[in-house]
Amino acid sequence: MINSNIDALGIIFPNSYDDLVPELVADRLMASIPFAGRYRMIDFILSSMVNCGIDNVSVIVRKNYHSLLDHLGAGREWDLTRKNGGLNIVPPFAEKTVKVYNGRVEALASILGFLKSQKEQYVVMADTNIAVNFDFGRFLEFHIASGADVTVAYTQETLPESFGEEGTDNKSLYYTLELEDTRVSNIRINSKASGVQNLSMNIYAIERELLIDQISQAFVRGYVFYERDILSPHLVTLNVQGYKYEGYCARITDMRSYYTENMKLLDDENLDALFRNSQIYTKIRDDNPTRYITGSAVRNVMAADGCVIEGNVENSILFRGVRVAKGAVVKNCVLMQDTTVESGANLEYVITDKNVVVTEGKELKGTDTFQVFVEKGKTV
Amino acid sequence: MAKEMIAMLLAGGQGSRLYALTQNLAKPAVPFGGKYRIIDFPLSNCVNSGIDTVGILTQYQPLVLNEYIGNGQPWDLDRLHGGVHVLPPYQQASGSDWYKGTANAIYQNISFIDRYDPEYVIILSGDQICKQDYSDFLKFHKEKGAEFSVAVMEVPWEEASRFGLMVTDENDKITEFQEKPAEPKSNLASMGIYIFNWDVLKKYLEEDEADPNSENDFGNNIIPNLLRDERNMYAYHFSGYWKDVGTISSLWEANMEVLDPEHSGIDLFDEEWKIYSRNSGMTGHKIGETGVVENSMITDGCRINGHVKHSILFAGVRVEEGAEVEDAVVMGGTTIKAGAVVKHCIVAEKVTIGENAVVGAMPEGDSKGVATVGSGVKVGAGAKIGPAAMISTDVKEGEER
Repeated sequence: MINSNIDALGIIFPNSYDDLVPELVADRLMASIPFAGRYRMIDFILSSMVNCGIDNVSVIVRKNYHSLLDHLGAGREWDLTRKNGGLNIVPPFAEKTVKVYNGRVEALASILGFLKSQKEQYVVMADTNIAVNFDFGRFLEFHIASGADVTVAYTQETLPESFGEEGTDNKSLYYTLELEDTRVSNIRINSKASGVQNLSMNIYAIERELLIDQISQAFVRGYVFYERDILSPHLVTLNVQGYKYEGYCARITDMRSYYTENMKLLDDENLDALFRNSQIYTKIRDDNPTRYITGSAVRNVMAADGCVIEGNVENSILFRGVRVAKGAVVKNCVLMQDTTVESGANLEYVITDKNVVVTEGKELKGTDTFQVFVEKGKTV
Repeated sequence: MAKEMIAMLLAGGQGSRLYALTQNLAKPAVPFGGKYRIIDFPLSNCVNSGIDTVGILTQYQPLVLNEYIGNGQPWDLDRLHGGVHVLPPYQQASGSDWYKGTANAIYQNISFIDRYDPEYVIILSGDQICKQDYSDFLKFHKEKGAEFSVAVMEVPWEEASRFGLMVTDENDKITEFQEKPAEPKSNLASMGIYIFNWDVLKKYLEEDEADPNSENDFGNNIIPNLLRDERNMYAYHFSGYWKDVGTISSLWEANMEVLDPEHSGIDLFDEEWKIYSRNSGMTGHKIGETGVVENSMITDGCRINGHVKHSILFAGVRVEEGAEVEDAVVMGGTTIKAGAVVKHCIVAEKVTIGENAVVGAMPEGDSKGVATVGSGVKVGAGAKIGPAAMISTDVKEGEER
């Protein structure tokens, strides 16, 4: 069979790092957090995979996944409604002793049978806490050319502040890599090192057969974390290569980074960097274009379709269907889908979740470093 | 399984009066209202009315239209049984023919309609902007026990002679049909939307085809023949927004009316009657530090750094710093460079307006021309395009037209 696509299947872990943004995942998971005006976090990794010719993608959901099912549907918007492969959403199999998986190992163990029956030679895996237009084709080329057993992508950056804070939930492990040339010589877990580090993006490439081997053995031994329990102890025998990613990467590590990563897209350079490579697909809502009514004043704003703007909006991101009434002022805000700001209301440094209503004349003010968050469906 | 009613959409029109806009695409594929194409309106009306089988009759420049319709998924018309079908003329054992007229287009597709064994067929036209509930029209048709019904609009008496008119009795029964008469007896203009009992339509199509002198047209042949035979014909009154966008000025006007839904009657924000379209998939639009937007509609992918006033911008339009756009319809992917002035005009897709170029002008006195720039045209820096110009080839730097 002629294979015009790359010979890999994709696996996405949509619940990873949920606990970094508890406010945003009260009703959802990391993958379905709205981002950049009209997208959800998963759109970036999923579209990246599709754009590189991967047409067999499994999303292993763990909890709070109704919003994600609603968003993904049958995968049509990502061209993943396929007879062979396509989108495969795997909910937890609530039976026997395995209830809800904890780490990557248990998650992968739950789809071992599926993995065994597939034909692709390689597997690529990713989380959804990063918005990135990632070229999996180049990544896999690197993996094959380097002769690696496992390749992991990383960025060079200083560690996000929230990672170093006390009381970070142990469930959210993050990994920094020590490299000898390109080979990973050590994986540090929850490092607090200062300065620029090689921070793992948790994007992996591996041969399918090897992954099946690793997971079968690890699962029997009760291992939980792929990085801590499988990669880290075996770096001598296992050739793990690091792939440095230098493109644009928006990483959600806490509420503040959620805010700043949204706001950074007001800079055309960043916006172009994130969307230049290839299209990011998302669920279509069939909104009408956004309408600016006489009397509106707008400056430095990114807005999706379906908004109606009559008031003043400055330095803000408006998601689909936001309404800003006459006399309302919105400054430095991120307003998610269908937020309504009634007349005379005054919002500064505010993040509203979906369907929030800020009633007439109300004033909400956060600061540059601490934004006010209004949870889903609330009326202020 | 038989369908109660299926729709046949006449989309073969060349739209020659839209000249520069229809050089490479059929009229129903002409963009409208920021993110739609004209054909989205009848298609969305079908779906919202519960019609799930639509035949689209194409003939002129069908490429863009075919690709746009695709499998019909954006309109929820990708169905196991039925759905949307594009029907170009095809070769038959007895020979092949272009669609000679509106009636002949349907005649050539009798076998398509027969496959669904419908009781009724609604004939739609692909060049109108209108939100209409066809199920209400069908209800009327059934209640009257009609064999043929036509949707009509009341038009001002002084304009009536421009239309095909239905003369009716007090029960809305049609007694006479006048095609653009000098002395109108009625002000009920046909919207070109018909419901037929399929058995009746089929009979008349076959009879019409056998008549060598016929123009094979609904208005000129089929309807007069039905009248001659005193069939049960009724006029269904429609009173909502309806606009034939067959000319540059009516297309421009209809777009401008979208900006004023409170008064004009065309409301695209209606959650109860959504208009579906194939989406651009671009990221949200951006109003930059220097951008000013007044009373306009802007959609995904736009980048506004200039001044946009009372205009409709389609997906991916860029307005650079210092550029002025007013009373303009600017279609997808067009770039308006720094300092350019674009007013009272229609600029088609993927046009580049050079720096400090001038396109169109606000009307003064009697001149009400809408300048039109066809798709893909490059207008050089400092060029000037007059208010009534129709441009379909590149304009050199500094040139005036």
